[in-house]
Formats: sequence, C-alpha cells, structure tokens
Amino acid sequence: MTEQNGHIHKLDICGQICPSCLLIALKEVNTRRDMLLGGGALHIYTDSRQAINTIPGSVHNMGYQTKIVKSEGLYCIEIQKA
Amino acid sequence: MHDEYTLILITSLACGLAAGFLLHRSDFCVTGMFRDFFLFRDLSMLRVLVLMIVVSMALVHGARALGLIVHYPFPLLGAMSVTNILGGVLFGIGMVLAGGCVVGTLYKMGSGSVLSAVAFGGLLTGSALYAEFHPAWAGLTKQLAIFGSGKTLPQTFGLDHYVLIIPILVFGGWLVLRWARRGQLVMPSHADGYIQPWISAVALAVIGLVSYIVVGMPLGITTSYAKLGATVEQWFAPEHVASLAYFQGKGLNYTPPFGAQPIAGGAGPELDAVAAIQYPLVAGIVLGAFVSALLLRELKLHYRMPVRQYASVLIGGILVGMAARMVPACNVWHLWGGVPILAGQSLLYVVGLIPGTWLGSLVLSKYVVRGPG
Repeated sequence: MTEQNGHIHKLDICGQICPSCLLIALKEVNTRRDMLLGGGALHIYTDSRQAINTIPGSVHNMGYQTKIVKSEGLYCIEIQKA
Repeated sequence: MHDEYTLILITSLACGLAAGFLLHRSDFCVTGMFRDFFLFRDLSMLRVLVLMIVVSMALVHGARALGLIVHYPFPLLGAMSVTNILGGVLFGIGMVLAGGCVVGTLYKMGSGSVLSAVAFGGLLTGSALYAEFHPAWAGLTKQLAIFGSGKTLPQTFGLDHYVLIIPILVFGGWLVLRWARRGQLVMPSHADGYIQPWISAVALAVIGLVSYIVVGMPLGITTSYAKLGATVEQWFAPEHVASLAYFQGKGLNYTPPFGAQPIAGGAGPELDAVAAIQYPLVAGIVLGAFVSALLLRELKLHYRMPVRQYASVLIGGILVGMAARMVPACNVWHLWGGVPILAGQSLLYVVGLIPGTWLGSLVLSKYVVRGPG
C-alpha cells in the first residue's frame, strides 16, 4: 500500500512474505530516485524484524541515510539523501 | 501417566518455549540463510548456521564421551537413499515459497504472521497428502537405496566416529574463530530486543543437546504435522484415514534414556509417543515466539497482503509438508541433529536442499515478489 504526502512517500509492507520487504524497498528507492535526490523522503512501514536490520544497510550502500522510528508495534524506516 | 511421558512432555515444552523465544528475537530463519545467499549473495547468516552445526557437533560428542548419550545414532534415522536428495530439492523450493521452513513457520505464526498461519495450513495439508502415496514412495526409497544399511558416514565406511568428527571439529572451529575475529558473526541490529543470532545459535545447540540427553533424540517436529493433519482428516473421513498404511505404522519404538519401558508412536491420529515428544515442542515454539512479540509490543495482525503472496505460502506450505515426509524430516532434525553426527540421510538432504532453495528463489523473485502490492 502506498501513499503520497507532499515530499514524503509512504509505503506500508507490513505482514509481507520474506524477503519481499528488502526487495520492494530497494525497488522503491530506485524508482523514486529523483524524488529522493530532490529532497523528498521515503517512509517504509514494516513489522519484519529481518527487514529492519537489512534495509538500512542496503540503502546506505546506495548512498542514502536512514532513521528508524518505532511506534504502535511497527517500525518506520525513513529514507532520504545523505 | 507413565514417568517416561511426564519427563518428555516437560522437556519438550521447555525446549520449545526457549527455542521459540530465541528464534523470534534473532529472526533465526534457516530458509532465509540459504535463500539470501542466492538472492543477495549474503553469507552472513549461513556462517551462523555453520557455527550452530559445529557447536552441536562438539556438544553431542562431548556428551557422548561422558556417557550422557544413550542412543547413538538416534532413533528414526534410516539408511541413505537418493530419495533423501529428491525430498530435499522439493523441501528447498517449498520453504522459499512458504516464507519459512517447518520451524520458521511456527515462530513467525506465533509472532502474528498471517501468511505463516496460511503456510501452516498448507503444511498440515501436504503432510496428510503424503499418506496417499506413501507406499509408492517407500518402495522407491528402497529401490534407490545407496551405501548399504549404515546410518552415518562412519558406519557406512566402517570407521570409528571420532576419525571423521575430530578433523571436522578442528577445521570448523578454526573457521568459526576466524569469522569471529573478523566480526563476521555479528549482525547489524536496529530491532528492539534483538539477540545476536550467534548467541541464539549456541543456545539452540544447547537446547538440542538437552533434548538428545533427556528425550533420547534431537528436536524434531514434522511427524506431528502429519499426525495433526490425520487428526483433522479423521473428522471428515475416518474410514479413509483408517485405510491408509502410513497412518497405521509405528516408526518410533524405543526406550527413552530415563524410561524403564519402550514407547512407540507414528503419524496416525492417536496420542502416542510422537505426540508426547513433538506436540509440546510445536506448542512451545509458537508460544515462545508469541510471548517474545507480546513483550516487545510487536504483536499485530496484518491481512492486506498481495493475493499472490497468499497463494505462494499456501503452495509452498503444501510442498514443504509433503517433502518433510518424503525426505523424511526437516531443517531442524537434519541440520541441528543429523549433520552434527554425520547422518547419511541428513547430508543427502542438504545436497538436495541447496539446489531446491536456488530454484525456489528464482520462482519467488520472478512470480511472487513483484512490487508494493
């Protein structure tokens, strides 16, 4: 499920099969490259403990920075340009 | 109730609870360990798996040297056959599509994964379906038997176990220490309450040893899936269940280490020795993961996943359920229990599991994971 809010693009991938979260996250980062480089942000909501550990490292290797916020049992991985 | 059963029930439940908690906290997914190598060329969790096998091997043979192991090799192991490889291939494909193997499905389901609950339904269905073609598969297994009647490599080649075990332990220990010095066993961690997988690997090896010493065999759960499947099937078609040879057999017949008399059990719906050993373990893993997720406030059900993912986990679950009977058994039994004692069936299973996982990864990335949903 995706949602656009100004310069923030939200993506909810809670409950999805492993390793969808990482594959989808990488695909979204590539698809929204221009938006991210233009100062936008991608917020990925996930409940996958594996994704929380793997997405930040992979996205960092692509030249972006991440911040992880947990609220109401979900993790939000906030991605933007470094 | 006999004392044999009381001790087995308590031990299995305790092992399951501890394992479920650790599996969830470390996201100790054996499917992911193999799959992520093929999808991302990521070896990090495979190193942890090697650590667990090496530690299990050291613990089991140390305990054996101290006289703590009664049954060596443990019950239910059979002679080697090419069908162990074929079953491994099917298991590998299925576990990737199901998003987890037999144990992975349990701890993920316990922590609230709806997809894993669907995969669990598939596992029960596949396990019960196997009974329909068991006689043919058992016949093929005999026809394709290899290396005689030996159950372990040393038995097959007429060697003392330590002739093979000690060199493997020395090499494995060196490898693991090398990875540890380079920091390659430590995972990046952002999840709350995360337990480093290498810690869980060591703890799970100890849990496996406790089971081996007290119950008389390492952790194993797949026969109980067939048993549970048969129980459900019996509600609708009792005469058919009674007519299937697979559900009448009592493959397990042994005297537990702390027992005075033999106990027996099989895949049929009866509450027998298999039920006493495996049902508490299954329940414990689910409950342990549930408690872990609850304590972290991460227990939340999500239903809005793509339909193709529901289809994938159901098909994958059925394949894993069938394959777990065809091999026979699963990752836990073979990787934590069989490989550390160089059981032939377990080694052949791994030979099949690797290409199976590769094939499953191809199917998953091409047909299942295609976008946000």
